Amino acid sequence: MATNGEEQQTQAGRHQEVGHKSLLQSDALYQYILETSVYPREPESMKELREVTAKHPWNIMTTSADEGQFLNMLLKLINAKNTMEIGVFTGYSLLATALALPDDGKILAMDINKENYELGLPVIQKAGVAHKIEFKEGPALPVLDQLVQDEKNHGSYDFIFVDADKDNYLNYHKRLIELVKVGGLIGYDNTLWNGSVVAPPDAPLRKYVRYYRDFVLELNKALAVDPRIEICMLPVGDGITLCRRIK
Amino acid sequence: MASKGEEQQTQAGRHQEVGHKSLLQSDALYQYILETSVYPREPEPMKELRELTAKHPWNIMTTSADEGQFLNMLLKLINAKNTMEIGVYTGYSLLATALALPDDGKILAMDINKENYELGLPIIQKAGVAHKIDFKEGPALPVLDQLVQDEKNHGSYDFIFVDADKDNYLNYHKRLIELVKVGGIIGYDNTLWNGSVVAPPDAPLRKYVRYYRDFVLELNKALAVDPRIEICMLPVGDGITLCRRVK
Repeated sequence: MATNGEEQQTQAGRHQEVGHKSLLQSDALYQYILETSVYPREPESMKELREVTAKHPWNIMTTSADEGQFLNMLLKLINAKNTMEIGVFTGYSLLATALALPDDGKILAMDINKENYELGLPVIQKAGVAHKIEFKEGPALPVLDQLVQDEKNHGSYDFIFVDADKDNYLNYHKRLIELVKVGGLIGYDNTLWNGSVVAPPDAPLRKYVRYYRDFVLELNKALAVDPRIEICMLPVGDGITLCRRIK
Repeated sequence: MASKGEEQQTQAGRHQEVGHKSLLQSDALYQYILETSVYPREPEPMKELRELTAKHPWNIMTTSADEGQFLNMLLKLINAKNTMEIGVYTGYSLLATALALPDDGKILAMDINKENYELGLPIIQKAGVAHKIDFKEGPALPVLDQLVQDEKNHGSYDFIFVDADKDNYLNYHKRLIELVKVGGIIGYDNTLWNGSVVAPPDAPLRKYVRYYRDFVLELNKALAVDPRIEICMLPVGDGITLCRRVK
C-alpha cells in the first residue's frame, strides 16, 4: 500500500507489482511466492487487468495478485453466491470474485469513483463475468443504511469485502454485521497498514499513513472484542482480517 | 520453525512462542497479530496445550497460535467433517481441528511418535473432543497405501493437513490427491521453510534446514504445475500451501 517502506527495502527486489511492498521479511520471499505460485496460475483476464492497472497513477490502491488468488480460492471454498464489495478501484478483486462465483452469482460493488471501474470493466466483460456485477457509484453508507432497513436483506450475503476508506470501516461494520449471514464472512483489507501498526511514535510516516493508522488500530481492537464474530488476521497483501459471523 | 533467524532478529521481540519466528517483516508485527487477534481469542484448551508444549525440548516443531486460529476458521468455513492429519507432535493443530469439527466429525491422525501425542492428549480429552480422533502410530505411507487400495476411500476426506517429513511430501501427495474429495483441501505446512527458499547459496543455514530445503523447493514447483489442484501459498506460520482439488 504505502510507499513509506523504502528504508526497509535492502534487497534490489523486482517490483512487478508497482508500489506493492509486502508484509514479509524480504521482497525476495514475496517475489518467490508470486513467481512460484501466483503468476503461473493467474487467469489471463486478471493478468490483463493487473497490467492495465499498473499504468494508473493511483496503482498502489490495487489489490495485489497474491491477495486476488487467495480471495478467489476462499470464495470457492465457501461456495459463495451473493457477495458485496466496498471499494472497487479498477476491479482486480472484483474480477477475482466474479471468476469464483457460479454463473448466477451476484456481486453488489460500490465505489465513489466510476471512472476507475470503467477502466477495468472491458476486461471483466471479456472474461464473461460482468453480468454478475451490479455497480453503484457513490458512498457506501447510504446504500448500506437502505439495505439494513429492509429485514429481508438481513443475513443475505455470503461474503463482503471492504477495501475502502479506513475511517469508515467501523461505521460499515455496524451495518455489515446485519447483512452478512451467520456463518458468512466479512473481510477487511489493509488491517496491518503496511506494518505501520507497530511503527514507533517517531517513525517517519507519510501523512495519510499516520492519519489512517489510528482508525486501523481502533478497528483491530474493536473487531478483536466483537462477540458476534470470530476473527483471523492474515498477513496476505496489506493484511486482511477475516470475520466469520457466529451470531 | 528453524531458529537460524537470530541474525534477522534486530528487535527485542518478546517470544511467547518459543523458537517461533515468523515470515513477517518484523517480530513486532508478528507479536501485534498474536496479541491483538490471536491470544485474546485462543480457546482455553489451546492455550493450555501451547504452554505445555513450550516446555518440550522439540517445541519448535509445534504449530503456532496464529496458524491454529487460521486452521480452525478454515475448517468451519468449509464445514469439514472427515479430516486427516499427518504429523501430530503434541497435538496443537489436531486440537484446533477437533474443536472446529462437529460432534460427529472424524480425524485420522498419524505420527511416528506416540509419546508426544500422549503428552497433549489429556488436554484434548478435557476439551471434550478426543472422541473425534483416531490416532495411528507409525509412518503414514503404509496407511495411505492401504486407504488408496480401497476405492470407497477415494474422495472421502474434506481436509488433509500435512505437517511432517518434508522429504516425503510429494510421496504423500500422490496418495492424498486420491483420498481428498473434489473441492476438498490438502494443506502442506512449512512450504516457505523459514524464508530459506530464497536464501543465497552462501547463506549460513543449519544443516537440516539446508537439507530439507531442496525437497521444499521441489514440492513447491510440483504443486504449482499440478493440474488436479488450485493452489494458494499463505505466509501464515512457516508458510502453508492450500491445495484445492479440482479434478
